[in-house]
Amino acid sequence: MRITTNMMYDMGVARLADQQSGLNKTQQQVATGRRILTPADDPAGAASVLQVSQADGLTMQHAENRNLARNSLGIEDGVLHSFSDLMQAIKTTVIGAGNGTLGNVERGFMASELRGQLDQLIGLANSTDGNGNYLFSGFQSHTVPFARSGSTVSYTGDTGLRALQVSGERQMAVGDSGQALFLSVPEGNGRFVAEAAAGNTGTGKIGAGSLTDPALFTGQDYQIDFTVAGATTTYSITNITTGTVISSGNSYTDGSAITVDGMQIDIKGSPANGDQFMVSPSGRKSVFEVVNELITALSTPVVTSSDSTKLSNSLTMAGSELSNAFDKLLETRASVGARLKELDALEDTGSYMHLQHQTRLSELQDLDYNEALSKLAMQQISLEAAQKSFIQVTGLSLFKYL
Amino acid sequence: MASSILTIGSTALKAAQTGIATTSHNISNAATPGYSRQGIIQSSSTARYTGAGYIGQGVQVDTVRRVYSDFLANQVMDAQAASSQIDSQYGHISRINNLLADSTAGLSPVLQAFFSGIHDVTNDPSDMAARQSMLSSTHTLINRFHAIDTQFSAIRGEVEAEIKTSVETINTYASQLARLNDQIISAESRGTSQPANDLRDQRDLLLADLNKEIKTSAVRMADGSINVYVASGQALVLGAQSAKLIAEPSSSDNTQSIIRYQMEGVDFPMRESDISGGRLGGLMAFRSDSLDPVQNSLGRMAIGLAISFNEQHHLGQDLTGNLGNDYFSIVSPVAIANSGNTGNAQIAASFSDANALTASDYQIDFDGANYTFTRLSDGFTQTSAALPVMLDGLQINLTSGAAAAGDRFLLRPVRDGAATIGLAIANPAEIAAAAPVRTGMAATNTGTASISAGSVDVSYPAKPLAGTVTLTFNNTTGMLTGFPATSVVTVDTGGTVTTYPAGAPVPYAAGAKISFDGIEISLSGTPADGDQFSIRPNTGGIGDNRNALLLAGLQTAKVLGGGTLSYSDAYSQMVSEVGAKTRELEITSTLQGKLLDEASNTQQSFSGVNLDEEAARLMQYQQAYQAAAKVMQMAGDLFETLLTIGR
Repeated sequence: MRITTNMMYDMGVARLADQQSGLNKTQQQVATGRRILTPADDPAGAASVLQVSQADGLTMQHAENRNLARNSLGIEDGVLHSFSDLMQAIKTTVIGAGNGTLGNVERGFMASELRGQLDQLIGLANSTDGNGNYLFSGFQSHTVPFARSGSTVSYTGDTGLRALQVSGERQMAVGDSGQALFLSVPEGNGRFVAEAAAGNTGTGKIGAGSLTDPALFTGQDYQIDFTVAGATTTYSITNITTGTVISSGNSYTDGSAITVDGMQIDIKGSPANGDQFMVSPSGRKSVFEVVNELITALSTPVVTSSDSTKLSNSLTMAGSELSNAFDKLLETRASVGARLKELDALEDTGSYMHLQHQTRLSELQDLDYNEALSKLAMQQISLEAAQKSFIQVTGLSLFKYL
Repeated sequence: MASSILTIGSTALKAAQTGIATTSHNISNAATPGYSRQGIIQSSSTARYTGAGYIGQGVQVDTVRRVYSDFLANQVMDAQAASSQIDSQYGHISRINNLLADSTAGLSPVLQAFFSGIHDVTNDPSDMAARQSMLSSTHTLINRFHAIDTQFSAIRGEVEAEIKTSVETINTYASQLARLNDQIISAESRGTSQPANDLRDQRDLLLADLNKEIKTSAVRMADGSINVYVASGQALVLGAQSAKLIAEPSSSDNTQSIIRYQMEGVDFPMRESDISGGRLGGLMAFRSDSLDPVQNSLGRMAIGLAISFNEQHHLGQDLTGNLGNDYFSIVSPVAIANSGNTGNAQIAASFSDANALTASDYQIDFDGANYTFTRLSDGFTQTSAALPVMLDGLQINLTSGAAAAGDRFLLRPVRDGAATIGLAIANPAEIAAAAPVRTGMAATNTGTASISAGSVDVSYPAKPLAGTVTLTFNNTTGMLTGFPATSVVTVDTGGTVTTYPAGAPVPYAAGAKISFDGIEISLSGTPADGDQFSIRPNTGGIGDNRNALLLAGLQTAKVLGGGTLSYSDAYSQMVSEVGAKTRELEITSTLQGKLLDEASNTQQSFSGVNLDEEAARLMQYQQAYQAAAKVMQMAGDLFETLLTIGR
């Protein structure tokens, strides 16, 4: 091929420019540490970087949400812990109050102690988190959920639960319903309420009873009427919902259980003639009501043996209902604990995913320094060679010899 | 005899002089662009007849010829036109490419921050600081949309300005070519019709420069002139005449320029698709193939985000207990009426479905009876006799006036999306983080049944819940009663949907989805007789974050492109498209550059000056000159000898 002087210069300059731009790009890659400088360098890779960055951002957001969830659940758990201590204290009081050697005055002291504990209980139920939001008021986070007027405690919260997105798929409730925790304590033993009529004159004490055969349980109201004729005490059982007499003239033995429709009812002591015991399915009451009833029972002076029986019956009832409230509390605490544990598990998955994302991002956009630096050295050498040869080739001219 | 030798010597001297002059001319123009080396064509003069045969009469220079090939020159011009087009396209798309280069600077991080702002609100919906931070991150997102779009618009403005410059350059070249044609015709018609080598070189250079602006085809005429044609055969230069191109606003869209052709009473707008090659072709191609789609893509993303986010926001309740308003504001697009329209119809569109939106522009034609809607990206058409028409997530309305037959409109639904998206609320309390309803159970319920938190759908805002609805379970009948007296209740039991008339009791089924008035609840577990479940307006529900969670969930929801793209998918798709297009152009540009190098090297190799060669020729002619001088000196000596004889 015929080479002209222009070509020699033009081609030389163009090659030098090419080499320089290649060198510049490698230098930029080394300086930024990034393989992809613009989307054009790797269009699919650039899109993947954006996708993975967003996925990682979301993972980090979920991690932050988990921290907040852990914090909220931690605060709740602390409140539930205090609640549980308080319930233990109240239960101890109930057990202590059953001691027959106590007098009205001592019981009066206990009642005032309980009043203080009731205040504490309401205080706990009105706990707030660090930001002034009530823990147990549901969605109305700025509304005081429990308000006391006289001996009744009213509830103005709701059953709404705030959830947080703690992982891609999991929304976790970061609180529990105050209604379920404080207001829905099953009465009696949880299935039915066995109680003595208010006008009883004998010393018949009734236990909480138990459900021995759930299949037979009707959920209806029953009445047990005692008849005392001389030394013989008999009783009859009536289903007052249907109005049918189930049995009558049963002879009463102190302490032996009475069983009706799957329910076992324990009556001890000596009921008087005409004494009545009622059995009805459990309703729901608030834990405040339970404590209030306890206070009322302990503040009522015991004069006669029937007063003592009434106190005993009240304490039995209160003990049983406190247990129900305590069960509910434990159930909630267990659920809080389970959620905290789940958060830890999600944390592990989350950090693993974060690591995966970072690895992927690094694979996608980070520069292989070994490769880049050796490329840089090579490009440098080749540029120098091009420069030298350019000088030499253009230095050749016939005119030098003319 | 001696005088004949002297004459012969002088022809040789002249020829050598011409040779030296031409070689010097070559040497001086070695670096002149477009110069073709010249050489002398010499032949022996007609011999004189004598009895002893023909005796040579010396040498004569026939012509000075430039070493030039039409074929090679045309190849260079074609390669030049293609290369300039790609370079222009590549140069402009590189700017978009660089704009989107940094993964930490584009839309991606602010989109992430925007959703983090929503998560802040879900964490404490009643906290004004969190709400304010969500508004701030929204501002940042909107500003980023605006900033990127401003860059696109700036690039668009520069492209339009460059089109004007390019057209002016073409006009200048065309008139210069016409003038050179004229000069060449007159120069070459003189005397013995010798070629005007240097003028021709100038013209060829001009033609090559013209091909940098637009692809041409040249036809060489017998009189030495060339005719130059552009686009689909429009004559740009005819002999000594040149046409004029004008960049003027398009009749369908005055923000975009088209090219008008004018020559000798012929005057018409050129079709954009006809203009190819050169910088102008590159600008046109960049505008329609890269800039429009990218700006539309970004606009669609902005509008899709605004519509889908607003839809969910409407289903929430703000801090003051009202249903959510628009969160983002967008501007409804107005179709641009063609400046040649004879009717006075105004056509506008409103957005109805983010998912169905495309990034395309639409052309609307009215033929007197029917409107034809053409999706310009793929040519899909739809015809309708009346407006409004639903098309691709748009409702196209006639806002005023009436269209006349032949009227044409251009609708660019999403072009301005990224520029016009705004924040519609100012007060952080207006963020609808809560759901408008909440559910509850009576504390006295003895059964194990529980009610779901409840959710609302798009039909809820039309008939918001007025008061508390209390559902009561009757164990004997197994029915729930208490639904609003005027509301139809729908129950979905694992796919089996049953509708109950207003006021009728509804049988209890655990897990079934129960809907009325746009509210959906479900009950699970076993209720006891008389158990009560309530659904009520979420009055005072400032701690509720259910709608905020749903809003945050939009981050990964596939709400664009027919359910295939999330917001960030749409963005990364755009980035990847720009990247791929840039890469493609980069490769093509390198390739075209190589082809151009090759063609011009071949051409240079043939026509260019090699100084060594010229040095050799210089020596050759110098020696010829010395030899001729010697011949003349010898003729003088011969004559002297003759004179000496006479003395």
